[in-house]
Amino acid sequence: MFKQCLVIMKREIFFMWRDQSLRNILIAGPLFGLFLFMGIYNHPRIDNISTAIVDLDRSSASRQVIAELKNTQDLKVITYPNSFEQLEELIKREQVIVGVVIPENYGKNIALHRHTKVAVLIDGANITYATNAASAVLTVTRTLGAEVGVKTLVARGIQPDQAKEAYQSIDFREEAWFNPTLNYAYFLVLPLVLNIWQQCCMLASCMNIIGENGVRSWLQIKASGISSFKLFFCKSIVHIFIYMLIVLPVYFLAFVFFKLPLNCGFIIFLLFTLVFTISLHSIGTLISSFSRNAVDASRFGMVIALPSFVISGFTWPIAAMPHWFQSLTWVLPQTWFFQGINYLVFKNQGWEFMVNYFLMLGMMSIICYSLAALFTHGFKAHFR
Amino acid sequence: MKQILNIAYYEVVHIFKDRILFLIVFVVPLLYASLIGMIYASSILQHVPLGIVDLDNSVKSRTLASAFENTNNFKVIPEINTYAGLERGMKNGTVRAGVVIPADYSQKLSQHRLTQILTVYDGSNLIYGFNTRRYFQQVLNTFSADHTAAYLGGLGMSKQEITNVIDTVSVNMQIWFNPTYSYSTFIFPGLVLLILHQIGLLGIGLTITREKERNSWIQYLCAAVPQWKIFIGKALPYLIVNFFNYSLLLWVADRFVNVKVEGSPALILLLGLLFNLIITSLGFVVSLYSPNSLQVVRYLMLLSIPLFFISGYNWPGIQMPTLIYGMSRLFPYTWMAEGFRWVTVKDLELNYLNTTIIMLAIIAVVTSFFASSFSKRRNPLTEKGVTVNSDSTYPSKDLLH
Repeated sequence: MFKQCLVIMKREIFFMWRDQSLRNILIAGPLFGLFLFMGIYNHPRIDNISTAIVDLDRSSASRQVIAELKNTQDLKVITYPNSFEQLEELIKREQVIVGVVIPENYGKNIALHRHTKVAVLIDGANITYATNAASAVLTVTRTLGAEVGVKTLVARGIQPDQAKEAYQSIDFREEAWFNPTLNYAYFLVLPLVLNIWQQCCMLASCMNIIGENGVRSWLQIKASGISSFKLFFCKSIVHIFIYMLIVLPVYFLAFVFFKLPLNCGFIIFLLFTLVFTISLHSIGTLISSFSRNAVDASRFGMVIALPSFVISGFTWPIAAMPHWFQSLTWVLPQTWFFQGINYLVFKNQGWEFMVNYFLMLGMMSIICYSLAALFTHGFKAHFR
Repeated sequence: MKQILNIAYYEVVHIFKDRILFLIVFVVPLLYASLIGMIYASSILQHVPLGIVDLDNSVKSRTLASAFENTNNFKVIPEINTYAGLERGMKNGTVRAGVVIPADYSQKLSQHRLTQILTVYDGSNLIYGFNTRRYFQQVLNTFSADHTAAYLGGLGMSKQEITNVIDTVSVNMQIWFNPTYSYSTFIFPGLVLLILHQIGLLGIGLTITREKERNSWIQYLCAAVPQWKIFIGKALPYLIVNFFNYSLLLWVADRFVNVKVEGSPALILLLGLLFNLIITSLGFVVSLYSPNSLQVVRYLMLLSIPLFFISGYNWPGIQMPTLIYGMSRLFPYTWMAEGFRWVTVKDLELNYLNTTIIMLAIIAVVTSFFASSFSKRRNPLTEKGVTVNSDSTYPSKDLLH
C-alpha cells in the first residue's frame, strides 16, 4: 500500500514538472515577486517630499520659516518659484507635492505683532504622500508657532522663561511601535510576495482533481481499482510539499538576505504557513472537483485568489469596512493568513493568540476537502 | 464589411454559449467593482481605537484626554487604561494607538517644569500608522494652542491679547484635489482600471486559443480573409463590451462609491478608447501566440499585483529605482492610471496630458499593428501531436464523453 502511495507521488511530481507553464509559475513567480517588490520599495520610507517655497517677503523672518522647513527630514525644498501661479503649475504637474507661500510683509507683520498667514498647499491626489506631508507640516507649524509666539511674548514684556513655558511646557514624544522607522518594505513586501505565492499555489491546486478526471488516463486509473481517496490524498501531499518547498527560498531571502523583520519563532511561522497551504489547497481541490475543465477551474480559482488580498484587510483595515461585510471577509483563508502573518511578523503573538487562526484554517480545510470528495463522488456516480 | 460582421457575430455567439466567459465579460467587472466599492465605502479612516493611559488622573490630565475623546478620528477604548494593558491591546489589535500621560503631569505643570506626553501608534499597518500620526499632530496642535491660551490667561492677559499672540502666525493648510483624504478617490479608480485591464485581456485572450482547441483556427488561416479583418471582427464585440464596462464602472464609482470623477468627459472618453484599443489588441496578440486557454488564464492573472504596484499609482514612482520605474513606463496601465487620475481627480486639461495621450496612442498603434499583421502560414505538425501552431489541449471532462 505504501509502495503504491510512493508511485502515485512520484507520478504527480513528474506530471507537475511536465506542465511547463505551471512549473515556470511555481518556480519563478514568488521569487520574481520578491525581487520586484524589494526593488519597488528600495527606498522604503516616504521622506524628502519635494517642496517648493514661494517667498514673497524675503526677510530674515521668512528665511527662518524656510530654515524650519529645511530642517524637517520628511520635506525637501527643491525649488523657489517666484509666484503662486508657478507653484500651482508645479503641483499640477506633480513636480512638487508641497507648496508653501510666505506672504509679503510677513516679517514686518510679525515685528508689529499683526496677524499673518502662511499658506501650505499639499497635493492630495496620492494619499501616501499627502498624509506624510501633512504630518510633517503640522510638526513644523507647531514649532514655528511656538518660536514666533515666544518672541512676541518677550516683546510684550513677558519674562523669557514664562514665554517659553507658555509654549514649550509640554513635550510630545511620538513612537511607532512594531515598525519604528515606518518602513513600507517591512509592512508590505512579504505579504505581497506571499500573495503572489498563494495565487501560484491556487493555480496548481485547481488542477488536482480535474487534472485526473479530465484526461483519458482516468479510465485506466478507475479500471486499476485504486481508491480515489488514496489517489488524491497522495497527490495532495505532493502538492502541499511542493508549495512549502517553493516558499522556503522566499523566506530565506526575505529574512536572511533582505533582512525583513520576523519577531516570532520560525517554527510557528512555518507551521502557520503549512496550515494555510493546506486550506488553500483544499479550496483549489474543491474548485477542481466541480469544474468542467482546467481552464474553468483556473478561472474560478483566480476569481477568488485575486481580490482576496484587498478583502483580507491588509491594505484597508477590516474595521473600516461596512459592519455587515466585516464578518464576510473572514470566510476566506487568505484573511486569516494575512492577518496572522502581520501578528506573527511584527508582534510575536504566541500560540495562545494564534490557536484560533490555526483552528479556523484547519476547519476550512476539512470543509473544503469534504465537499470536494462529495463532488468527485457525484461525478464518479454519473460516470458509471 | 460583411466579413467583419460575420466574424463578429460568430464571436458573440461564442461569448453567449460559454457561460463562464459570459460571466467574466459581463458580470465580473461589475462584481469586482462593487466588492471593492464596498470595502472602501467609508473612504476615510476614522474612529482609530485609542487607549489612554492616564497615570495622573487629575483635572489637567483629563482635559488632555478629552481632547482625544472629542474627535471623530479616535475612538477611546476605556478598558485600556494601564501601560501593560496598552502593550497588550496594541499587540492583539484591540487598540491601534495610545496616549500615556505621566503620573506627575499636573504636578510638573504647576511647578513650571517640562513634562512629556507619549503618543504611540501601530506601525505594523502603515494605513493606520500614517493616518494616526497625522491625527495625533492635529489634536496636539489644537491642545497646545489651548494650553498656551490658558497659561497666558493665568498671566492676566485678556482674551483679545491672547488671540493676537497665538494667531500672530497661522498656517492655512489646504489639501488639493482630495481634501478629505478619501481613500476611495485615491485607490478605487486605479483598481477599477486594473479590473478592466485584466478582465479585458482575459476575455479576448481566449478568442484564438479557443479556435485552436476546436481545430477551427485553420479555417481562418486558410480563408481568403485578410488578417486585419479577422482582428477587427474578433475584437469588435470585446471593444464594445469593454467600453460599456468602462462607462458602467465609472458611473458606479461616481454614483455609488462617491469617488471624485471630474474633468473633461471628452478626455475621459479619449483615454478610455485608447486604453480599450490597447487591451483588446494586446489580448488578441496574447491569444495568437499562446498554445492554449489554460496558459492564457494562468499567466494573465498573475500580472495583476505587479502591474498595479509597479505603476507608481500607490507608491510614488520617484521613490522607486529608475530602472524599475522606467520599466513600468512600458506598460499601458501605468500611463492610463496616471492620465485618468490627472483628469478625474485633478481636473487637468489636455495640455497636461499630451505625453500620456501620445504614449497611449503609440502603444495602441504598435499593439494593433501586431494584432492585424500576424502570419497566416500554418506551422508544420510536431511530434507532440500538435494541431495548429502548438499543443492545444488541456484536461477537460468533455474528453470523456
